[in-house]
Amino acid sequence: MQHQKAKHFKCNLCPRRLNTAGGLAVHIQQVHKLEPENLPRIENALPGRDGYEVEIFGMEGIPAPDVADYKRRKEIELGLNPGTISAPPNKRPKVENRPLSEEELRAQLDAHKALMGASEGAPPAAEQSSAAVYGAPPQAYTSPPVPAVSTPVMSPPGVPSVVPPGAPLAFAPPYPVPPFPSPGMMSLIPPGASPPPGFPVHPPGVPPFPPPPGMLPPGAPMPPFPGMRPPFPPPPFMPPGVPPPSSFTPQPSAVTPPAHPTFVPASAIPPPPLSPSIIPGAVGSVPLSSTLMATLTTSSTPAPQLKLPDPNFEQTYAPFKKPTVLKWSDPNFSPEEHRAIHSKYHTPKETTNQQTTGQAQEAELRGKKRARAEDFL
Amino acid sequence: MSFFSAASSSAAATVTPDKDIEVADPPNDSISSLAFSPQADYLAVGSWNNEVRLYEVGANGQTQGKAMYGHQGPALSVCWNKDGTKVLSGGADNAGRMFDITTGQSQQVAQHDAPVKVVKWIETPHGGILATGSWDKTLKYWDLRTPNPVSTVQLPERCYTMDVTYPLMVVGTAERHIQIFNLTNPTTPFKTMASPLKWQTRVVSCFPSANGFAVGSVEGRVAIQYVEEKDSSNNFSFKCHRRDQSPTNKDQSLVFAVNDITFHPVHGTFSTCGSDGTVNFWDKDARTRLKTFEPAPGPVPCTAFNRNGTIFAYAVSYDWSKGHSGMTQGHPNKVMLHACKDDEVKRKPPKR
Repeated sequence: MQHQKAKHFKCNLCPRRLNTAGGLAVHIQQVHKLEPENLPRIENALPGRDGYEVEIFGMEGIPAPDVADYKRRKEIELGLNPGTISAPPNKRPKVENRPLSEEELRAQLDAHKALMGASEGAPPAAEQSSAAVYGAPPQAYTSPPVPAVSTPVMSPPGVPSVVPPGAPLAFAPPYPVPPFPSPGMMSLIPPGASPPPGFPVHPPGVPPFPPPPGMLPPGAPMPPFPGMRPPFPPPPFMPPGVPPPSSFTPQPSAVTPPAHPTFVPASAIPPPPLSPSIIPGAVGSVPLSSTLMATLTTSSTPAPQLKLPDPNFEQTYAPFKKPTVLKWSDPNFSPEEHRAIHSKYHTPKETTNQQTTGQAQEAELRGKKRARAEDFL
Repeated sequence: MSFFSAASSSAAATVTPDKDIEVADPPNDSISSLAFSPQADYLAVGSWNNEVRLYEVGANGQTQGKAMYGHQGPALSVCWNKDGTKVLSGGADNAGRMFDITTGQSQQVAQHDAPVKVVKWIETPHGGILATGSWDKTLKYWDLRTPNPVSTVQLPERCYTMDVTYPLMVVGTAERHIQIFNLTNPTTPFKTMASPLKWQTRVVSCFPSANGFAVGSVEGRVAIQYVEEKDSSNNFSFKCHRRDQSPTNKDQSLVFAVNDITFHPVHGTFSTCGSDGTVNFWDKDARTRLKTFEPAPGPVPCTAFNRNGTIFAYAVSYDWSKGHSGMTQGHPNKVMLHACKDDEVKRKPPKR
């Protein structure tokens, strides 16, 4: 309409702009006292349409034959089938974001079962009920952390021998968990004994961090950090109740001159159990991870893909009301998720070897099913 | 004349003593998380090259690397326990690890089926506990002595963010779900709601008063949300971390993600940081901005206040906001320390 006023219905004798051709005619006749016969033709109009006969206001009042003609031309232009423009455009299916009710969920599950597991024979209940997945038997760590300061009486914390893995700790509302001892404390407690009550008990006269008893791994290969020492030197035995870190600030500067800040890798990857020959620090995180990276980048494993757990819940953003450049425009995944699957950062499941075989099989099964579903579709 | 004065003022700016201080010897890949010890000025830095580094921050802001340990995948989140003797971290290797700064040993303490996006220490009247939120859609509580979680909570979606101010815990997930937990009953959500913001949730952060929380989204917006219905009239949201398309066009049409929100432990004001490289301090009650930082040369992925709010740490490193192509050689990667002045972080008296 602005276009019409500016381009076509402008009086060329004064700055006035009119809304319609008829209005312009009346204006010219009355204001500028021109005869109807010698009205100027309408500017910028298509040949044959520069008269004042048709009263068009915006998109209203266009003669039907002209509309049909226009649509036909557009269809030819866009290469569409005749008649597609005249039909109303298909509306985007309405996506509801509310939580589904029980019945709807069940219906969806049935549909899903029909799609997925009909030929499978196996009950595909685990497919949907996530409880079955996450309620899988609790797996113990395949590489239980072993403290490096190995003493004969010490049983490594976190190993099922200390606490039976199956024993479920009651989780009643106000955390009935007894305050847990530090690993240093664990060494003092024979397995089976109850932990001492009250975690932050400071016994009087605790020596704050004696000098390191030769914990330094000899010549640990750490290119970025040459010449390091243990930062928080491990005392041979920590009594229960460790002093706050403010007290460990005195560094044994006599041992090594603190020329520049140094980093010591702690035992990044816990050494395999019952192999005390591996000194912590010898297996540094950086060398291992760099070699890992190298193998990763060179290996021909297919790049991992981000998969929505349930495509039904795919998110979409409503269009912006005004022109906007949204810098992170993926509504379904965060930047970190994208980054974590990038080949530089992604570690395939096999190398983390934390998955029990059962879960791996299940994952494999799910992958197969998904592939089959894709075929079906 | 004007040239001369401009030159002298910029020279003065470079020697100004309260300039932000760069942490020495930062990790050599992007920084994912920062956390100060609740007992001393020790800063834990988690990074995408699988490391967690610990620094001691001196009185004048000088830093010294103290220790480091590693994950088998990128470290995504770090936190400290209450007495500051343990650093806990979660990584893309699906593991939660604990580093004992007294012994210098690290060990695995938590396990998920997908990367552990966030770890938080919960200090209850009955002892401390570790909460881990993962992209496997679960939240697990660990007592650090057993390989099995004390309890597992099924979340509606992948956990993106979580924050705790006892007894309030808020979890933000994909698909804009927000679950509020009262930690006297930690296994069932106190309230489940959709985010007040219409775009992907990036971060949630609890008020120090534990009566509400702030939500940041990828669409340059922060919502202030109170838990109790009776306070809902105080809920509001505001735009931030936006930039004009061009200097001539004041349309604020470039919209960046709000990467982190941290509350000042004493004054209850808060900081926001974004992919646009800016950091702001805000007062939610006076609804005013208290401070704007000079734009950093790269995105700011995370921030942290120290225990008494005198030091504000922020990382400048790539946050994947432009995907892999934005990961350029020589992208700035550093942790900056800012000494907070009182008028930057103190609440403004409410307007009458």
